[in-house]
Amino acid sequence: MSNAYLTYAAKRLGQAVVVILLAYVFTFVVVSILPGDPITSVLRNPQNGFSEQEIGEIIAAQGLDQPVLVQLWHSLSGFLTGDLGVSMRSNRPVSTLIAEVIPSTLILASSGLAVALFLAFAVAYGTQVLPKRYGQGLLRAFPSLFQSTPNFVIGLFLIHLFGFQLRLFRVIEPDSFWATLFAAITIGIPFSAQIAEVLIANLDHEAKQEYASVARSRGIGQRRLFTRHLLKPASLPVVTVIALTVGELLGNSLITETVFGRTGLGSLVQRSVSTQDLPVLQAIVSLGAVVFVLVNLIADLLYPLLDPRVKMVVGKKYRSTAAGEPSLDPTKAVNP
Amino acid sequence: MTDRSTLLSLSRRRLLLTASALAAVTLVATTGLSPVLAADTPKEGGDITFLIDSLGDTWIPNNSAISSFQGHIWGHVTDKLLYVDAEGKVSPWLAERWEQNDNATEFTLHLKSGVTFSDGEPLDAKAVVANLDIWYAGRKNEGINPIGLFPKTYDRAEAVDAATVKVFFKKPTLGFIPTLGYHGSILISPKSIAQPASAQADLSKTAGSGPYVVESWKEGDHVTLTKRKDYNWGPAAVGHTGPAFLDTITYKLVSEPSLRVASVQSGQADVAYNASPQELKSLKEEGFTVATPRYLGFVNGWAVNTKHAPYDDVKVRQALQAGINRQEIIDTVYTPDWKLATSFIQSNVPGATDQSALLAFDPAKAEKLLDEAGWVKGANGIRAKDGKELVLTIHSNPYLATSKSVDELIAQQLGKLGWKVVIRAYDVVTYGEKVKFGGAAVPTYEVTRSFIDAGTVAGILTNANNGENWFALDDRDAKINELRDSIAGAGSFDERSPLLNDLQKHVLDQGYFIPRTQIVQRIYVQSPTLKGETYNGVAYASYYTAFIAD
Repeated sequence: MSNAYLTYAAKRLGQAVVVILLAYVFTFVVVSILPGDPITSVLRNPQNGFSEQEIGEIIAAQGLDQPVLVQLWHSLSGFLTGDLGVSMRSNRPVSTLIAEVIPSTLILASSGLAVALFLAFAVAYGTQVLPKRYGQGLLRAFPSLFQSTPNFVIGLFLIHLFGFQLRLFRVIEPDSFWATLFAAITIGIPFSAQIAEVLIANLDHEAKQEYASVARSRGIGQRRLFTRHLLKPASLPVVTVIALTVGELLGNSLITETVFGRTGLGSLVQRSVSTQDLPVLQAIVSLGAVVFVLVNLIADLLYPLLDPRVKMVVGKKYRSTAAGEPSLDPTKAVNP
Repeated sequence: MTDRSTLLSLSRRRLLLTASALAAVTLVATTGLSPVLAADTPKEGGDITFLIDSLGDTWIPNNSAISSFQGHIWGHVTDKLLYVDAEGKVSPWLAERWEQNDNATEFTLHLKSGVTFSDGEPLDAKAVVANLDIWYAGRKNEGINPIGLFPKTYDRAEAVDAATVKVFFKKPTLGFIPTLGYHGSILISPKSIAQPASAQADLSKTAGSGPYVVESWKEGDHVTLTKRKDYNWGPAAVGHTGPAFLDTITYKLVSEPSLRVASVQSGQADVAYNASPQELKSLKEEGFTVATPRYLGFVNGWAVNTKHAPYDDVKVRQALQAGINRQEIIDTVYTPDWKLATSFIQSNVPGATDQSALLAFDPAKAEKLLDEAGWVKGANGIRAKDGKELVLTIHSNPYLATSKSVDELIAQQLGKLGWKVVIRAYDVVTYGEKVKFGGAAVPTYEVTRSFIDAGTVAGILTNANNGENWFALDDRDAKINELRDSIAGAGSFDERSPLLNDLQKHVLDQGYFIPRTQIVQRIYVQSPTLKGETYNGVAYASYYTAFIAD
């Protein structure tokens, strides 16, 4: 690790902190300007039988009638000291709420990612290895099909077929192995399309390179060519695609969790948005910003390790030394 | 025509079968046996899964006890001092008996002995005093709300000895006794009450004295209850006082209504909550138990803002009352499980009287009243007066799933009479902000509200003692205020009943309240093998007495 590398990392971390703080304040402002809050809306439920005067007293007792800036200051100072506050809806500590749902979302997201990678590589393998007349064209159409099918449709179809018809899993036990697998497939399919598209394009590009022709002329089989020569250079941009679509993966997990009835971050977001639970929303948005920034940071930092041609040059920037042309975008690394 | 041909096609064999079935039903009915009890005897053991659309927001007992969702769990984990059945009949539970003074300002409760909370604390007079105090006052600065419908006339409670509690009120409060059976009045261990709000919000840290205890829970996911083996103080009214029969009850959150019902249909769960009314007929035909218990409370209807023109004119309000075809609402939106409104309170509430004559659908009368009030039909079919159209803006109630369908039907009905009806549908938060009783832009407020004692009603309708002033009458109607005061001051039910009758007549005749239908707020679709459940005065299903039949 060179000094430049550390300086670069420190600078990126500094930017990340600013982004996270901005996300925190932005969420506060957006939610605060909406009418209503969870406490008042619960009190106003006619079943509770509170008069407006009583509601006013309760709101004042909890300091919710204070100016927005004062409330922002309280919330921000708590956040900076690591206190995420208490949910206005459930009265439980926000950190407990998040800790409760994170494992389920991580399992879903990581297994979804695994399914996506498996599908993407399988499709890409097929497009390179299968003879043209045996469905290669069909395989090439898969990514667009996967991309254009909404994942709730896939989810409902899988639930109907495997849950109700084949009874492979109990629909009301969404954390069971089979239910998790089908949820992972649901989330993985659209995600695999994006990976497969990039992968296929890169494989096609690599397959036309001289080194591939040389390998072929030396009698190397298509399968061996794929695994030994084409795969590594072609899969490098996949890292960037994954990093860029992590936010999407979290967003899709919200829909998939709702369809399968899983209790994860997505369902917590849904409950918090519908009740305007500000402390929870702020914590989740900040957490999302942290994850997004971190994943992109990791991708950037990982790149020099995956591709020896991309390495740090003193002067704070990545440079693709092979072509001598400066490039910050690893996908644009020039081939020899 | 279809009916006729079916009748004609009845074969002798079918006739015989029908006749035998009828005879069997008559036999069972006349011997006074309920078919369920006759067919099955309770069996120990078994686990059931109850699918519910939400588990609400918070578990702080005071803030969640009357919620439509958490109430299911509290009903199994906690007990109450009194039991109120579906007909509003009050009977002893943890309070074995009670006395009151002549003007209903002092009550003495005698408690059952040997009752304990699941944390080992005794349920004695001291514990009851702690509960009464927190129901009345809450701890507002901590976020623990008072119980909104607990009598605001409460003064204090004293533990006379371990089994006797004396309760004092600042004014006559005949409604106190029935309130003890209301869903807000759940008894919680004093140790749990003393905990801060954030600990009370953790369901596993709250102890009650009910037949079940919380085994596990995850917010937004499930609550699993397990039976308390030493439970021995159930309400005598349900015919069983020992431990529950079922081992566990799991309340599982499934937000999609069709998924809840499909899971019960496929045998993956035992009860689905809040199915759509349209599905009920076919589910019954498939052999599933469908329960639509009514709760004690107001019917579903509109509280009219008498300050909002043209509804400040009694003739326009009376035209509205006569212009709604309530039978058509039941036939179109609901099923025969929904009953016609006969007053502005549900007909099973003690003290409710039949005011059907005031609620008859009479379009001719409605048109005549509108003509008299000066609203003339224009070429477009809409009535107008002084260049202003006859408009009714209604806000669909977000707490009732079928509200908008009913609104649309009423809009058609009123449209024929010359009304221009505008329907607005908001989400819960926006609705809470914008739509209030007597609000400037709110001519009618749609009510769904339960209560246990009709005596509290008059106070809610008017502005006295923090009342909600539903019709924005302030002090403009001397008669309703007079009735309110005499109902509040009544020391006995005999004295109160005729006054309640006058109140119902007056409110409906003046068109202050426009009933739509009696309300079924909770719909249960249940597996045919699960039997023996009971429904209390607020239509909650209790599986304390339930069992799985072979």
